[in-house]
This record gives sequence, C-alpha cells and structure tokens, in this order.
Amino acid sequence: MQREEKQLEASLDALLNQVADLKNSLGSFIYKLENEYDRLTWPSVLDSFALLSGQLNTLNKVLKHEKTPLFRNQVIIPLVLSPDRDEDLMRQTEGRVPVFSHEVVPDHLRTKPDPEVEEQEKQLTTDAARIGADVAQKQIQSLNKMCSNLLEKISKEERESESGGLRPNKQTFNPADTNALVAAVAFGKGLSNWRPSGSSGPGQPGQPGTGTILAGASGLQQVQMAGAPSQQQPMLSGVQMAQASQPGKMPSGIKTNIKSASMHPYQR
Amino acid sequence: MEAPPVTMMPVTGGTVNMMEYLLQGSVLDHSLESLIHRLRGLCDNMEPETFLDHEMVFLLKGQQASPFVLRARRSMDRAGAPWHLRYLGQPEMGDKNRHALVRNCVDIATSENLTDFLMEMGFRMDHEFVAKGHLFRKGIMKIMVYKIFRILVPGNTDSTEALSLSYLVELSVVAPGGQDMVSDDMRNFAEQLKPLVHLEKIDPKRLM
Repeated sequence: MQREEKQLEASLDALLNQVADLKNSLGSFIYKLENEYDRLTWPSVLDSFALLSGQLNTLNKVLKHEKTPLFRNQVIIPLVLSPDRDEDLMRQTEGRVPVFSHEVVPDHLRTKPDPEVEEQEKQLTTDAARIGADVAQKQIQSLNKMCSNLLEKISKEERESESGGLRPNKQTFNPADTNALVAAVAFGKGLSNWRPSGSSGPGQPGQPGTGTILAGASGLQQVQMAGAPSQQQPMLSGVQMAQASQPGKMPSGIKTNIKSASMHPYQR
Repeated sequence: MEAPPVTMMPVTGGTVNMMEYLLQGSVLDHSLESLIHRLRGLCDNMEPETFLDHEMVFLLKGQQASPFVLRARRSMDRAGAPWHLRYLGQPEMGDKNRHALVRNCVDIATSENLTDFLMEMGFRMDHEFVAKGHLFRKGIMKIMVYKIFRILVPGNTDSTEALSLSYLVELSVVAPGGQDMVSDDMRNFAEQLKPLVHLEKIDPKRLM
C-alpha cells in the first residue's frame, strides 16, 4: 500500500515537471510568435515545434513508464468549495486560479470532453459505422498509397539536391589522412623510414623481402612506385608509403634501427 | 635544526596519476580557415596562439619486448622556453562506452641538455618531426590543430616537408584518472565541430 503511494507521488512529481517544461516552451513559443513575427524564420518555428514534440514524447514516456500507477484508477473529488480567495492555491498555480469555487471546478477537474466535442465525436463514429467495412478499408489503402508516394517524392528530391550541392563542399576531412597523421604521431609511421635503415634492413630475416625494401628504400624508389608529378614527389610518396604499406612491415624498420644501435654499455 | 630543503628529500610519495584523455581527427588544408573560425568562436577568448615545435621520440630498448618511449619537445619559435619531456602509457582498454582515448601521462619541463642526457642514459632517437599549427583552450580542454612536417635530414629542422595535405586536430585533457565526465564533456565539444572535423578515439595499435 505504502509502496503504491510512494510510486504515485513520484510519478506525479515527474508528470508535474514535464508539464511545467511543456508550459514554459509553449509560453516562449507564443511570445516568439507574438513579438518577433516579422523576424521569424521557418527553421526557428520548426525548432520550437520540434522542442514541443520532444517534450510531448517524454511526457508520453513518463505516462507509459512501468513504475507509473494507472491514473485512471484514481479519482479526484473536491471536498470543499468556497468563493473566498485561497492564497495557497494562488501560490501553487502561479496566480492563475485564485478561487476554488463552483465555476472553476468543472473546468479543471473535467474528465469527459466538452459537450460540443462529445457531439462531434459521436457524429463521426456514426458516419464511420455507416459507410461499411470494405469501403472504409479501400479509403484507408488509398490514403496510405498517397502518403507513401508523397514521401518517396520528397526523399528523392532531398537526395538529388544533396548529392548535387553538398558533395563538393562536404569533404572537409579525409579519413585516410587522419589515420596517416595519427600513426605518424603515435609511432612515427612515415617519419623515420627516410633514414637508411636499409643498411641493416636487407640482412634481417623474418619480414618478407619486399617489406624491408619498402621500409629502407630511398626516396627515389618510392617516387617511381607512386608515379607522382615531380613537384610533389616526396610528399605524395610519403603518404603513399604510409597508406600502401601493410601492417607488419613498418615495425621491421623500427626494430632494425634499434638493433643496430643497441650495442650500448648500459644495456648489458 | 631546521628541516632540510625539500629537494634533498627522496621523492617517495606518489603524485596523482594524471591521465591524458584524447580525441583526434583531421581537416583538409582548404577547410582549415573555417575550422579556425569555429574554434575561435567556441573556445576561450584569447589571442590566437600559434606554435612551431620540434618533437623527438626516444626509445630505450630493454630486455622486455616493448621499448620504453619518451617524447622530447622543444619550441622553435619561442626562445628561452623550456624543453618538454613527456611519457605516454598504453591506452586504457577499459570501457567501450568511454568516448575518449585514455592513457597515463607524465609531463615535465626540462633544460636544454635533454637530448644529451637521454643519449647518455641509453635512449636512441627513433623519429622526429616538426609540428606547426594553432592552439586553443576551453577550460581544461586543449585543442591543437597542427601540420606534421617530416624532417628530411636528421637533425636539420630547416629542410622539412609536409607529411600530408591535412592538419591533425587533437582535443586533449590532462586530468586525474577515472573521471568519465571529462570524456563526456569532450564528446559534447567534439559534436560542435561536426561536420567539419570528426573527432574520435583512434586506437594507434589498429594502425600499425
């Protein structure tokens, strides 16, 4: 019993917060529409709508949450109605409801829709029942088809404009370059292989011969491999080397360097 | 009898284990300007800071299989600035959800005879490069946008050539370990740089 009460309280609090957020965003949207209507842009209006829709979504989620008890089972009964001002109520409703009287209660504690709305809804249901099941089905199918056609047209238009306009501007970074640069900073890939490790390179077993040749080759050889124009020979070849060399061949370059230099007294 | 000066006492206490949180990406040369403008807007308001550094990476090949790596960095455009010695550990392979690469980091400033000292200790220089670029700060986050230049003649920092047509972009924070909020903040900042740059955690071992 107590747990349910606690749950009820917690879920009411969450609901209150959500509704307060929603109210605030609605308020700011209305303010924006009323006061800045000459400067308002469509994307800004879309932003406000998106915000509202997101908040409604979270509200729905809160209501659907498993820990929320069924509010349908709870009943609110007004116990005391008085035409006097109630300061407490004023404070809680931020000055909107000053009096808890018999005018206010029907509007605030209403659970059924307005009588006019109820009439319209009843008429709609009788209309729907009147036309018969298969006619209704046909109408549903044609609506679905029209919606999907429209969606297709919009997405095709979007794709075409994107591929035409954005693609030339889109490439602001090159992932292959990212990898090459990170490898260079992390362990010197493409940096140290300029030094002629070929002095001890060809003699080293273990790695395939092409590996050490790649690692220890001079710049000219690399250039012939890359076939780049003369101005950019060294740079392009460096990048080609970093990108084209397979993993496992680079470390051989580093190791041969160390081996040749490791005859140091302190090492022993 | 007064206590001996602090420098004479053995350093037995540990320092706080500082970790470096890192996100990396790159940007092509022609988009550099837009990236710089965006960073100037997003980062702390300060004079745009450029740097030209020469970094040398030293390896000590011991009995173990993996050599010990130390990075020595000196500024080529600021006279009188101390040299900077840095140790970076292996990236922590813990949490897949952690958004940044985390590795142990020890930084220290040294005098100019650092290379002689390291050579005497048995380190050998593995590779070197010149980094030229811009530095931005936002709170504790440091954003570096720099181009890596390969040094053609070892020891001669004048003959350099660019390694690629892109600038490397690094977002890093040095903070005590275990602070996941840091990597969340970094990811939020990285979101603001999309689609110009995609900053992500890149495991260097994958690129070997």
